Amino acid sequence: MDLRLPSKVLEHIFSFVDSNEDRNSVSLVCKSWFETERLTRKRVFVRNCYAVTPAAVARRFPEMRSLTLKGKPHFADYNLVPDGWGGYAWPWIEAMAEKSPALEELRLKRMVVTDECLEKIAASFKEFKALVLTSCEGFSTDGLAAIAVACRNLRELELRECIVEDLGGDWLSYFPETLTSLVSLDFSCLDSEVKLSDLELLVSRSPNLKSLKLNRDVSLDALGSLLRLAPQLVELGTGSFSDKLDQEAVSKLSQAFTELKELKSLSGLWDVLPEYIPLLYSVCPGLTSLNLSYATVQMPDLVELLSRCSNLQKLWVMDLIEDKGLEAVASSCKELRELRVFPSGADVDETNVALTEQGLVSVSEACPNLESVLYFCAQFTNEALVTIARNRPNLKCVRLCVMEPFAPDHKTQQPLDEGFKAIVEGCKGLQRLSVSGLLTDKAFEYIGTHGKKLRMLSIAFAGDSDLMLHHLLSGCESLNKLEIRDCPFGDTALLENAAKLETMRSLWMSSCGVSFGACKLLSQKMPKLNVEVIDEHPLKTRPDSSPVEKIYIYRTLAGPRLDMPEFVWTIHKNPEIGVSNLAIE
Amino acid sequence: MENSNSYSPYSSSSVDSTKPSPSESSVNLSLSLTFPSTSSQRETSQDWPPIKPRLRDTLKSLCLRQRRYNTALFVKVYMEGVPIGRKLDLSTFSGYESLLENLSHMFDTSVICGNRDRKHHVLTYQDKDGDWMMVGDIPWDMFLETVRRLKITRPERC
Repeated sequence: MDLRLPSKVLEHIFSFVDSNEDRNSVSLVCKSWFETERLTRKRVFVRNCYAVTPAAVARRFPEMRSLTLKGKPHFADYNLVPDGWGGYAWPWIEAMAEKSPALEELRLKRMVVTDECLEKIAASFKEFKALVLTSCEGFSTDGLAAIAVACRNLRELELRECIVEDLGGDWLSYFPETLTSLVSLDFSCLDSEVKLSDLELLVSRSPNLKSLKLNRDVSLDALGSLLRLAPQLVELGTGSFSDKLDQEAVSKLSQAFTELKELKSLSGLWDVLPEYIPLLYSVCPGLTSLNLSYATVQMPDLVELLSRCSNLQKLWVMDLIEDKGLEAVASSCKELRELRVFPSGADVDETNVALTEQGLVSVSEACPNLESVLYFCAQFTNEALVTIARNRPNLKCVRLCVMEPFAPDHKTQQPLDEGFKAIVEGCKGLQRLSVSGLLTDKAFEYIGTHGKKLRMLSIAFAGDSDLMLHHLLSGCESLNKLEIRDCPFGDTALLENAAKLETMRSLWMSSCGVSFGACKLLSQKMPKLNVEVIDEHPLKTRPDSSPVEKIYIYRTLAGPRLDMPEFVWTIHKNPEIGVSNLAIE
Repeated sequence: MENSNSYSPYSSSSVDSTKPSPSESSVNLSLSLTFPSTSSQRETSQDWPPIKPRLRDTLKSLCLRQRRYNTALFVKVYMEGVPIGRKLDLSTFSGYESLLENLSHMFDTSVICGNRDRKHHVLTYQDKDGDWMMVGDIPWDMFLETVRRLKITRPERC
C-alpha cells in the first residue's frame, strides 16, 4: 500500500511553510518531499554567493520569485576587504535572466552591482517589483534611470548605504507617469540633489507609498511639501534638518508632521538643529523605530525627544546621549528591543566620556524586552557586564565595542574575561556576540563552554594563544560565522579543528599568526572549503612559515571561484609550493 | 614590503596567561604592533573602530559643537610616547592637587608639577594661544579658562 501523500496535497501543506529554515528541513525528509518543496519555493536565500552556482540555484528552484544574495564578508564594512576581491552580481543576474525570467525581487548585500547589471534587470524581468541593495557599489545613477524607466510594476527601490557614482539627480524623472505602484523608495545614500518637482510628481501619483527615505540634499522646505503629499507614510527618512526657516514655514512643517498619523519609523535628521527638535514631538508617541545616528544633538534635546517615545522598540543614537540620556530612555521607552549607540568621534579619544558602561546597565535594568545591543564606548567593567547579564538573560545579540584596544576593566584593571563569561552563561539564547577590551584565552574558554546557541562571533585584539581559537571551534556548537582580527593564534588550532569549518558558513581572520603552510595544508585536507589567502603585499617567494595577511575560508558546493583577483591565492591557482601569484617586480 | 602588521605582541604563545598589569598593556600600546595607527601617532585608522564608511566620513567632517549644557570641560591628556590619550573633565577637580592625583592614578605613575627633571613625569599644558606651558604657574580658575590639552612628559628630557 502506497502511504505517500499525493504531491498536490504536499504542495498545499508546504504552501504554509514560510521560513526557509523549515523548508530546508522539509527538503531533507525524503526524495519526494525534496522535489515538492523545491518546486514550490518562491523565496530563495543564498547567504554566500560563492557557496553555490547561479545555475544550480535556478535549476533547483524553478518557481523562484525572490532572490536574496550576500557577497563580501562582514568585515568588508570596515575596509578590511580590498577592492576587487569579488562579490559580483553579474553572473547571478545573467543566469536568472535566462532561467528565471519571472523573477520579481532581488535583494543584494555587499555585492558589486554595475550599471550593466541594472540594465539587464530592467530588460529581462518583466514582472520585476523590488530591488533592495544594501552596502553595494559599482553602479551609477544611470543604472537607476534604467530601472526607473523600464520596471512598470516597481514597488520597492531601496539603496541602503550604497556607494553610488552620482551623475546627477535626473534619474528620478525617468519614472514614467504611468508608474503608480511605488510602495518604498530609499535614496538616502545619494549625494547629489534630485529635482524636487520630479520627486513631488512621483510621490503624488504613488498612493501606496509607505516608505520614503530622502537624501541629505532634500531641504526642510521641500520636506514640508513632500509630507503634505504623502501623509500616509509609515517610514520617513528626512533630508538635512538644518536650513533656516521663517516662522510661517516652521509652523507649516509642524502641521505637516502632525498629519503623519501612520508614522512608525523616523531616520535621516542630518545636522538637526536643536530648535527643530520640537517639530518631531507630534510623531513621537507613534514611533517604534528612531534612527538618530546622524543627529548631532546634545543630551538634553535627546532626552526631550525620547521621553515622548513611549512605544519605541528600536533606537539608534550617538554617544552624545550620555549615561543621563540613557537613563531617560530606560524610564520612558519600556518597549525597547534594540539599542545601538555609535561613537561621536572617529578617533578613539574623541568619544564622549560621559557615556560609560552605566548607560547600558540602566537600559538593561529597565527595558524587559531588550534583545539586541550594539554599544561603542571608551571603556567597560566586569561588574557592569555581570549586571547586564543578570538583568537581561533574554539578550540575543550583544556587540560591545570598547574603543581602546586591550582596555582592561577600568576599575579593577583586570581583563574582561569574567564579564563576558557572565554574558554567555546568563544569556542562554545568545546568537550574536562581539567582544572587545582586554581578553585572555580564558574568555574564549568561557565562550566555548557556554555559547551553545552562538551563531556569529566577532573578535578583535584579544586572546593569548592558539587555545583561544581551539576553545571556540571545539565548543561553540552552533557557530556559523566567525570573524577575527589582530589576535595571536597560529596554525595548530586551525588545523586541528578543520572539520568544524565545514559546519560553518565562513571564517575570516586578518592580522593573526596563521602561516602560508597551514593554509596550504588546510586546503589539501578540506576540498569542500575555499581557503582564500588575501594578501595585498605578497612576498616574491612565500615560504611556508611566512604569515598571511588575511584569510577567508568558506564552505562551498561550487568549487574554486573563477573571478579571483591577483591578490587572492587559493590552492587551485597555485598548488606549487612557495611561489606567490604576484611574483612580479 | 614586509607584512609587519600580522604579528601581535603575544605571538610567542605563552599559554600561561597571567593577567597583564596595566603597565604591560600600555607598553603594548606604545609598541603599537597591531594597533592600526602604527604609521602616524594619532591619525584615525580606516578600519578601527569598526564603523561603516558613511559614519566615519560624517564624523570626520563633523564640527561637533563643544558647547555643553553642563559646565564640563573636556580636554585630551597624552602621555609622551603613548599613542592613545584619554579625555578628562577638568571641571570635576577642585584644583591642581586633585588633578595630579587623578592623573597619577590614571597613568599609573607619579605625575608632578614643576620643572622637568631626570626622575619625574611632569605635567604640561597647551594654552589657547597654542603654547606649551608648565602646569601650576597660574591660579586654577585661570588655568581652566586657558587650557586646551594636557601632556605628561617623560623624565630625562632636556
